[in-house]
Amino acid sequence: MDVAEIRITAEPIDNARCKFLVSLPVHSGGVRRFSSSEAAQGSPLAEALFAIPGAEVTEVIVSGNLVTVVKRSAAPWQAIGKSVGAAIRSVLASGHAAVAPKPAAAAAPSGVDDDALYDRVAELFDAQVNPMVARHGGRVELIDVQDAVVMLRMAGGCQGCGMADVTLRQGIEAMLQEAVPEVKGIVDITDHTAGTNPYFAAAKK
Amino acid sequence: MPCPPKPRLLLLLPTATYRATAFVEAARRLDVELTVASELPSTFEQAQPDRLLTLDFSDPERAAQQAYQFARTHPIAGVTGVDDTAAVVAAAIAERLGLKGNSVSAALAARDKHIQRSELARRGVPVPRFERHGLDEDVPELAARTRYPCVLKPLRLSASRGVIRADDPPGFVAAFARLQQILEQPEVAACGAWTRYVLVEDFVPGPEVALEGLVIEGRIHVLGLFDKPDPLDGPFFEETIYLTPSRFSEPARQDIVGCGQAAVAALGLWEGPIHAELRYNATGPWLIELAARPIGGRCSAVLRFTAGEGGRGNALASLEELIIRHALGMPLPALEREERAAGVMMIPVPGAGVLRDVRGIAEARAVPLVEDVVITAHLGQALVPWPEGSRYPGFIFARGETPEAVEAALRAAHRRLAFVIG
Repeated sequence: MDVAEIRITAEPIDNARCKFLVSLPVHSGGVRRFSSSEAAQGSPLAEALFAIPGAEVTEVIVSGNLVTVVKRSAAPWQAIGKSVGAAIRSVLASGHAAVAPKPAAAAAPSGVDDDALYDRVAELFDAQVNPMVARHGGRVELIDVQDAVVMLRMAGGCQGCGMADVTLRQGIEAMLQEAVPEVKGIVDITDHTAGTNPYFAAAKK
Repeated sequence: MPCPPKPRLLLLLPTATYRATAFVEAARRLDVELTVASELPSTFEQAQPDRLLTLDFSDPERAAQQAYQFARTHPIAGVTGVDDTAAVVAAAIAERLGLKGNSVSAALAARDKHIQRSELARRGVPVPRFERHGLDEDVPELAARTRYPCVLKPLRLSASRGVIRADDPPGFVAAFARLQQILEQPEVAACGAWTRYVLVEDFVPGPEVALEGLVIEGRIHVLGLFDKPDPLDGPFFEETIYLTPSRFSEPARQDIVGCGQAAVAALGLWEGPIHAELRYNATGPWLIELAARPIGGRCSAVLRFTAGEGGRGNALASLEELIIRHALGMPLPALEREERAAGVMMIPVPGAGVLRDVRGIAEARAVPLVEDVVITAHLGQALVPWPEGSRYPGFIFARGETPEAVEAALRAAHRRLAFVIG
């Protein structure tokens, strides 16, 4: 594969987190989340991202065409992003799987059962979260739970909505904290730039 | 020993803001309790009544009473508003709850261009000569006695929406009619009696700058002074590039900051963020606008501050973090912008129509010094050019060693973008 054919767009969330949207599928087997370089062993892309000098990568999440990287260093994404792009291109060009399949029934380091958490979070989403966001034409998909971290994707009126982060942090995350306190965090893997019908569109200063 | 409760910030976020993520994430980083108040209800408000609130932004006193009721069960330690309307509501709440903030009269003066001009002129701050006229006045007669070139403005719309330059009487009549059409749009006309008036002022020649500051006990602490390298000579005033540090001489910069400080004092602004726009020519600085809010759009991302004492180690603090810290009385970092030059381009509206595609984003991001290209318009969105419009399709950010290099990078990135409009 010619690496020049691989298009990657970076979408920084803040100075710590950035989503990289890749023109080709990176991992088609659901979501994989890596919270340490040790956990990344056996997954070439994750290994490469954790090894980027000066980035101090703390977390990598791979799902479909999306790679989310979390770093600790203050270095701007301008510099780190180019290394991330190079790593993605290199791994995809190699023809090998970018990340290993999720281990079956892997127990989280915390001892929390992710499968059990998934079921409880899914029930909360079905019974409460989605009926609420549906009032604004939105939808929230539970993608996975890994190491007690919930990965979700927003769609419909939530995708690209100017208030999506308010919905995520003040609504969904707060409900999760109350109903499923074992959940350690929540990661939005939505490509908000692709939203075509956001409920609230930014329009003013 | 139980932990002391975290301070609660009441963040006033209009639903049409660009600023939600920047403020919400800043509050998370600072680990403060956050209640987000908007003018329309969140679908989660009933489920999370301590985190989400609906306030009547159109009636600041009523909003203050609503916030007072809320605070009886959820004590509020600070309040901040992110746009012009929310800044007035924040002032009313701060007065009602005894929190740090501006007086309502000062916030209103910053909100309304006619009140602002009147107060600034009365206190000797250099502002363009101005007159307020009703939409029902004899426009040809007004045009005949107006001094040219002039600028027609609505009293309160933001982002230079409806601002039009006229160079002669026929141009004045045409500009007046165009602005009247904007003001008579139902969603605008419903905003209040101010929509029945137009401000007519002298056009002030010269380059424009933007002054970003944090006012503490009436004194401006400069957070950034931006040059606007593209001439803003009209007929419309869509902004494009902001660059900092300013390339003006040190004495000129001092004059500009001094003018901003005089305007802050004249309006009685006492606490919180300000964003001022000034022109500078042979006679010195002219105050064009002073808003009691931070810089708009996504532009705040261009500002980063050395954390220093009270900050988080060697990390950089965002503008939103400074504003939240200030509102809550938390220790502030040094308020010194990082040393590198930085800039943002508010991407000009490429034309009227429905946005079908944006090409070249990856190529634009690949331009050296460019940090990011953010397209905020969604596919299918109607793009409306100025003066009727006020929404940029996106923003380009760059950082480098000099303002010249940053400006060149922004322009190069913009050239690589192609908007497909149907």
